[in-house]
Amino acid sequence: MKKHRGELEIDEDIQLESTNWKVQRVAWVLMAFVVFAALLGFTGNGGIGNLQRLKAGDSAEGLEVEYERFLRRGAPAEIKVKLVPSSADSLTDLRLNKDFYEKLQVEKILPEPSGQYTHEQGITYRFASANQPFLVIFYVKPEGMGSLPLQFSTSKKKVNITPFIYP
Amino acid sequence: METVIRGLLLYVFLMIIFRVSGKRTLYEATVFDFVLLLIIAETAEQALGGEDKSVTNSFLLIVTLLLADISLSLLKQKFSYFGKVLDGVPVIILDDGKVLHDRLKKVRVDESDIMESARELQGLERLDQIKYAILEKDGKITIIPKEQ
Repeated sequence: MKKHRGELEIDEDIQLESTNWKVQRVAWVLMAFVVFAALLGFTGNGGIGNLQRLKAGDSAEGLEVEYERFLRRGAPAEIKVKLVPSSADSLTDLRLNKDFYEKLQVEKILPEPSGQYTHEQGITYRFASANQPFLVIFYVKPEGMGSLPLQFSTSKKKVNITPFIYP
Repeated sequence: METVIRGLLLYVFLMIIFRVSGKRTLYEATVFDFVLLLIIAETAEQALGGEDKSVTNSFLLIVTLLLADISLSLLKQKFSYFGKVLDGVPVIILDDGKVLHDRLKKVRVDESDIMESARELQGLERLDQIKYAILEKDGKITIIPKEQ
């Protein structure tokens, strides 16, 4: 063991320690960035000004999807879908791709669909409505990780969204 | 499998985050450090177990964490430099009666912290009774008094 001033046996390595101090300061800045990003909503669950709450599609064209860009695995989230029924029919079908029910655990749908069935492309929810635009809220819990391409489609319009799921 | 990955991820994450927070951060110097430690423990618990409350999961987690700890200590033993990087090294903060202010600033310690240790460990009354003060790897300050 090294001796300091010929008397104090100590394994001091001030060079390593000063590198360590520099690394620490850089890490503190990074930590501040993480917190800042979280405040802006980059880690999911809202954020200042709801910057990460996105809209896709257009309600004038019969389908609009409102969703969070960043989701977290196991954390409850909601997807809002605005639908306009076709004038001839009081029943509106909303088709979703397979990933929707494979990677998201659908906890609740409001309003309850009057019918739902799966097929090769995914799942279809059928909603009864009073021939006017209406809103459907999906309460979901993500189960997968990474990018999740979702496709919402009605007989007239298709909307693609790709939220990201954090582990 | 997920439990093992969760355990290892959290182990590594906590190790890095405490390493870069500095030695004194959670040294329980104040009541609030202690409270902070409790909150971190509680938060980490959620990430560790998830929704799986089974006994198997707990056993698996404990074994994983202990194994990680044992592996790490073996590595540290074999490669001493690795150990130094991971745990840090002791730093002299009061050398032969002289306070090294630049180092104090870097390690976020002040003279009152040194005096606290001096009173507690050696029953000293004044700073000039101290020959060496060393900030140890674990964040403790040890004191070597001047010979009377």
